[in-house]
Amino acid sequence: MRNKPRTVTRAAAAAALLALAVASCASEKATGGPAATGGDGVKTGPGVTADKITVAMMTDLTGPYASLGKSITQAQQLYFEQLNHAGGVCGRTVETVVRDHGYDAQKAVAAYTELAPKSAVVAHFIGSPMVLALKQRIEADKLLTIPMAWATGLLGARAIQVTATTYDVDMINGVDFLVKEKGIKKGDTIGHLYFEGDYGESALDGSKYAAEKLGLKIFEQKIKATDQDMSAQVAAFKSAGVKAILISAGPRQAASLVGVAVSKGMDVPFVGSNSAYAPQLLATPAAPALLKDYYIMTGGAPMSAKEPVIEKLAADYKAKYPNDVIDSGVSAGYSAAQIVGDALKKACEAKDLSREGIITAHRGQKAWSAGYGSTQDFSVFDQPASRESYIVKPDKAALGGSVIYKEPAVSDLAKDYPVPVG
Amino acid sequence: MSRVILWAAGAVLAVAVPFYLEGFWLQAGLFAMAACVGAIGINLLTGATGQLSLGHAFFLAIGAYAYVYFAAEPEGDLGGLGLPTPLAALLALVAAGLAGGAFSPIAGRLRGAYLGIATLALIYLGQHLLFNAEPLTGGYNGRAVPPMELFGFVFADTPELVIFNVPFGALERLWFLGLAVVLVAAWFARGVLRGRPGRAMNTIRDHEIAAAVIGVPVGRYRAGVFVLSSMYAGAAGVLLALVFQQTVPEYFGILLSLDYLAMIVIGGLGSVAGAVIGAIFVSLLPQLLTRYSEALPLVAEPGSGGVSPAEAARILYGAAVVAVVLFLPGGLLGLAARIRATVTRRVPPPSLTPSPDSPRS
Amino acid sequence: MITFLELLVNGISVGAVYALIALGFVVIFKATEVVNFAHASLLLAGGFVVAKLHPSIGFWAALAAGIGGAALVGALIEFLIIRRANVAGHSVLAIVTIGVDILLVTELTRQIGTDVLALGDPWGDRVLHLGPISIAETRVVALAVAALLITAFLLAFKYTGWGVAMRATAEDAETAALMGIRLGRVSLGAWAVAGALAAVAALFLCVFPTPGLDRGTTFAAMKAFPAAILGGLDSTTGALVGGLIVGVTEAMMSGYQNELAFLGRGIGDVAPFLVMTVILLIRPAGLFGTRELSRV
Repeated sequence: MRNKPRTVTRAAAAAALLALAVASCASEKATGGPAATGGDGVKTGPGVTADKITVAMMTDLTGPYASLGKSITQAQQLYFEQLNHAGGVCGRTVETVVRDHGYDAQKAVAAYTELAPKSAVVAHFIGSPMVLALKQRIEADKLLTIPMAWATGLLGARAIQVTATTYDVDMINGVDFLVKEKGIKKGDTIGHLYFEGDYGESALDGSKYAAEKLGLKIFEQKIKATDQDMSAQVAAFKSAGVKAILISAGPRQAASLVGVAVSKGMDVPFVGSNSAYAPQLLATPAAPALLKDYYIMTGGAPMSAKEPVIEKLAADYKAKYPNDVIDSGVSAGYSAAQIVGDALKKACEAKDLSREGIITAHRGQKAWSAGYGSTQDFSVFDQPASRESYIVKPDKAALGGSVIYKEPAVSDLAKDYPVPVG
Repeated sequence: MSRVILWAAGAVLAVAVPFYLEGFWLQAGLFAMAACVGAIGINLLTGATGQLSLGHAFFLAIGAYAYVYFAAEPEGDLGGLGLPTPLAALLALVAAGLAGGAFSPIAGRLRGAYLGIATLALIYLGQHLLFNAEPLTGGYNGRAVPPMELFGFVFADTPELVIFNVPFGALERLWFLGLAVVLVAAWFARGVLRGRPGRAMNTIRDHEIAAAVIGVPVGRYRAGVFVLSSMYAGAAGVLLALVFQQTVPEYFGILLSLDYLAMIVIGGLGSVAGAVIGAIFVSLLPQLLTRYSEALPLVAEPGSGGVSPAEAARILYGAAVVAVVLFLPGGLLGLAARIRATVTRRVPPPSLTPSPDSPRS
Repeated sequence: MITFLELLVNGISVGAVYALIALGFVVIFKATEVVNFAHASLLLAGGFVVAKLHPSIGFWAALAAGIGGAALVGALIEFLIIRRANVAGHSVLAIVTIGVDILLVTELTRQIGTDVLALGDPWGDRVLHLGPISIAETRVVALAVAALLITAFLLAFKYTGWGVAMRATAEDAETAALMGIRLGRVSLGAWAVAGALAAVAALFLCVFPTPGLDRGTTFAAMKAFPAAILGGLDSTTGALVGGLIVGVTEAMMSGYQNELAFLGRGIGDVAPFLVMTVILLIRPAGLFGTRELSRV
């Protein structure tokens, strides 16, 4: 019991100490105006100092999308390096910060909380579940973010810029292509293999819309990312008598499905979403089947496109990362970085590098182009920035493993399609 | 006496943290707090009673989603009851407990490895429900989590609140809620473990038949602990949902369950302190490595090749599990106790009054 | 009808691969009563060795190396970790294998990087036609190999010294030790054999109809858990039957998902677990497992 008085003293002392600590508040968190105007007359916000602009990348280097994440990250680092080499933006150099969340929502949310207060833009964010989880916060923070996912659920936020087409628009253009060029007629059944989740289900919205308008039937097969062997799905498609198959799953599932179907003598065309193909598949036994009658719908240009910008990018990328595979992630990442770069430049012209300034500058561009491919309209955010899809085809000899089969075009169906905004 | 100073210092530190640390650390701390609550729960089940469960993530999901359903106003296709949030949180605990109870016909019949793998079914079933029961769960989009409101005080960024010049956003406010939840959870579990139920549970773990012989109602205890542990998971789920502000169905998968098992092994099986230490270790390690990857040898910056921070964290975490069972029986907690024992043997104790609970804990 | 038969055949052929994986669990559980969560990493290790070596030394030599390599990894895990683990119960040992799995899988996926590795098998994408039904040749081989290996194990458990020692250990480890059985050797052997089996399973898991070995391969090991347990964790016959049940259930549920849409789409993944739960409710030790009797 002789402890007691001393305990009280200690507790009192502790409380006093606490009060002192709080009141004196040496904390850096103490309120201060975030937006300020620098010496050069440019208004700045979080992530922008007198000589530096911080650009965040939230990517997946160790999870299921590691190969895509690596290409995108390296391509973007290449872009900002070139940008800095050419003098930077607004007399400031761009500094990139990369965080790998391994496709884990908790790590992604943690990475966002860490980087958001000190970044001016997010040049790419992999994983729509992660972006969806943070959508409200991204909007409240007014942090321009380019997701590397194309689900419709990501539309509708002013701060989030989905690049080019969404999955559903791609699939509408794909169904249109099947009808116009692959002999699919009214009354036919088309199979659609899709992933559970926003990617597959966005794509399914598109195929269902197109099927309804064209008088086709859709035969659905939903799978999970852990499913590897598509034999059962092929059997089901076969028994439903499908005349063509749409694929909105991962590259592995696409390879398995196409491989099994072709080996079982199903001679139908296959049309995949842009995430349903990877050039690495051409080194596997599935290659011959993929080269036969498989097409991929994508809003971004493939690396083999005969465009000066892409050819230069391919050469620069090869020079910087000689041992790495070149895939569609390189062009997708690079053009997203270009979008960011241009938004920063425009914001600089308006002398406003605050978050609001960057978004306003970005959203002011009605007809943005990377110097190739389709033109994108950034002034609306409840619509895809473009409705033109490339049709590309796997090709062993081509850089990035695919060549353009048809130049980007928008089908009449896709033009009038009311996008469900999530 | 030294214990009191320690507690006071701890309390001061815990209260001062939100005034100084940036959002990233607060959030990491909140994730760790949620993990503490969940880990205490599974330590009651797996550590103290010896029932292996791989289904913990499922009960976390129940807690998180039930809270959202009870608290949210119905909106479009999404259902909701719009109840006051504290009530919704309580009901979420009840829901998680009921889910655990519904599993008891299986939990009561199966032993050891069989129970462990049977609980795997919960994970797969749970994810299937989260994705498909859209009116309840919002499907793959998840649902926005209504902020907690206690006696008119909202745990969210708005309305703005500034205390001693420090802006108090959602994370700063939730910090205190999290602390309170962890303290209550720890205090209650400690009571369970130190009392009669705790001894009964340990006996079941060590020798089930013997436990039955000496009159422990084995079946009832096993089912009861399962329910209690599910409720802890439910509480962790509610806390997580509040921190995330949006439910993410992908999150509640098998890896989350495995994380919880690793936490209790690393921290120390069968005790509250062990669960807390393990939870902190496992949830903060990747954050620390990522944050300081530039300064650490052998760890490459992400995107530059080499061992990335995420990989380094995985490797260290796997190695920690292995190292603990090889060299540190009792986990990190056991290590701490051994160090304390070594120190106190050299230094004579400062006070003659024995503190009531020094030999254990 | 043809669809039904085709799905059945598909299910059986996938089931054969699950049976091979499940057999690996069973061997270790029989000898040591540990549920081996590190089996996925053994699969990955075996597959990785085959994938890396086949271009230079040919497929069969690479397969032999893969089997040897995975057996060695298995034996090392037992010798360095499991044997020395300082823990009370088998469930803690199971958690230890989770740690081992995380270590190995992280390092192996880092090595595999972003590639999809082909294993260079001789069967390619050839398909066998049986009337209107077709089945991949790789799967026919898998079924034959699974049946062969499982028969071999049944005989080995009955008649070889190692098998008898293992059964004795499983029955009562202390008595077995007193009778002169070296528990360490039994357990080491079991882990090595499980490793070898994992390499064989990895082969069939990564060839046609799946495109190759990559970081996603480990997920398949999870599906073998219900297979192992619904057959009975200590029964080799159970592994085969369990594998087939899981394979057929999965194929049927996926194939008929349009008819079963009221259960929610994508039920194929969950179905094996539902079947497992029902079977465990009726028979808590699985279909062929040994029932532990304890009455008070």
